[in-house]
Amino acid sequence: MSKDKQPVSRRQFLNYTLTGAGGFMAAGLLISPLRMAIDPVLQKEESQGDFTNVQLAEEDLTNEPQRVDWEVEQIDGWYESKVSKTAWVYKDDNGEIVALSPICKHLGCVVSWEGSDDYPNQFYCPCHDGRYYKDGENVPGTPPTAGLDIYEHKVENGMLYLGKAQLREEL
Amino acid sequence: MKWTKQDLQQYVQAKEYIDTIILPLIPFHFLTDSSLEKDAFQREVLSVFIRELEKEITGRVMLCPDYNYLKSADKKTEVVRINSWVENIRSQPFDHFFFITADSGWKKFDQAMQGTLIWNPHIVTESMQAREKQSVVHSQVQQVGELIRSYWQDDK
Repeated sequence: MSKDKQPVSRRQFLNYTLTGAGGFMAAGLLISPLRMAIDPVLQKEESQGDFTNVQLAEEDLTNEPQRVDWEVEQIDGWYESKVSKTAWVYKDDNGEIVALSPICKHLGCVVSWEGSDDYPNQFYCPCHDGRYYKDGENVPGTPPTAGLDIYEHKVENGMLYLGKAQLREEL
Repeated sequence: MKWTKQDLQQYVQAKEYIDTIILPLIPFHFLTDSSLEKDAFQREVLSVFIRELEKEITGRVMLCPDYNYLKSADKKTEVVRINSWVENIRSQPFDHFFFITADSGWKKFDQAMQGTLIWNPHIVTESMQAREKQSVVHSQVQQVGELIRSYWQDDK
């Protein structure tokens, strides 16, 4: 019986053991960079589901736009920072929630609801007298050339959550 | 707007809308151990305040890089230097100049300064909660913004 088996010579035995051990070492070296190479694929995509609870109950919303402020963590490269955000929220005539960005489409100042006594029922930009109607559309003849951005929103457990501000054209 | 590449790009195209300069006057020193921490903290508070203020009215103001000076420096010579900054900035069509500082030492010199001095007393202290600090800074931003807007009203 033992005659049928190929005897393993000393040279072969050493070859096998050396390639085996060497293979393990090579594999060990290769595996870590492999993870790095395909890492972007494994990253979870920045989903649209980045909603933040803005500490405002849905039932507290009225027809009158009110200002809400909240903070989000923003990671820019290795630099992590807290960014404060603001929105004007109200319920329109159909009871739909509207959340408008306060950033003026002209040069980026912060607009406020009825910010000027001369223009009731409008958003007013103090910098260059830009104005917007209640639905956020710009008043023609004032500096802004587009309507205010609109935040994505949802309601969960009675609380209002706001997401990203979107351009009007993208809606 | 700030003195950054991106903002200046926008500035050059929209010059006629941006007529206001904000120049922060911020002291520093290394002299006395006991006040180092406190002064550094106040500097941080002021820069947060200025950042928020700039955000609020960004479309009409240009925030200059900080004017840093030694706390012990002679204000008379500093005023001359600040005015030379103003001269330089005047090569662009700016009408309103605001110097924002927490250093009360400037108050005596505001006649000699070519612009309006806004002195912000130290109100935020280290012992405040984060939320309190936020709301104090926020209300200060609103008030100073109101003040700056009142100068704009006079233009009309």
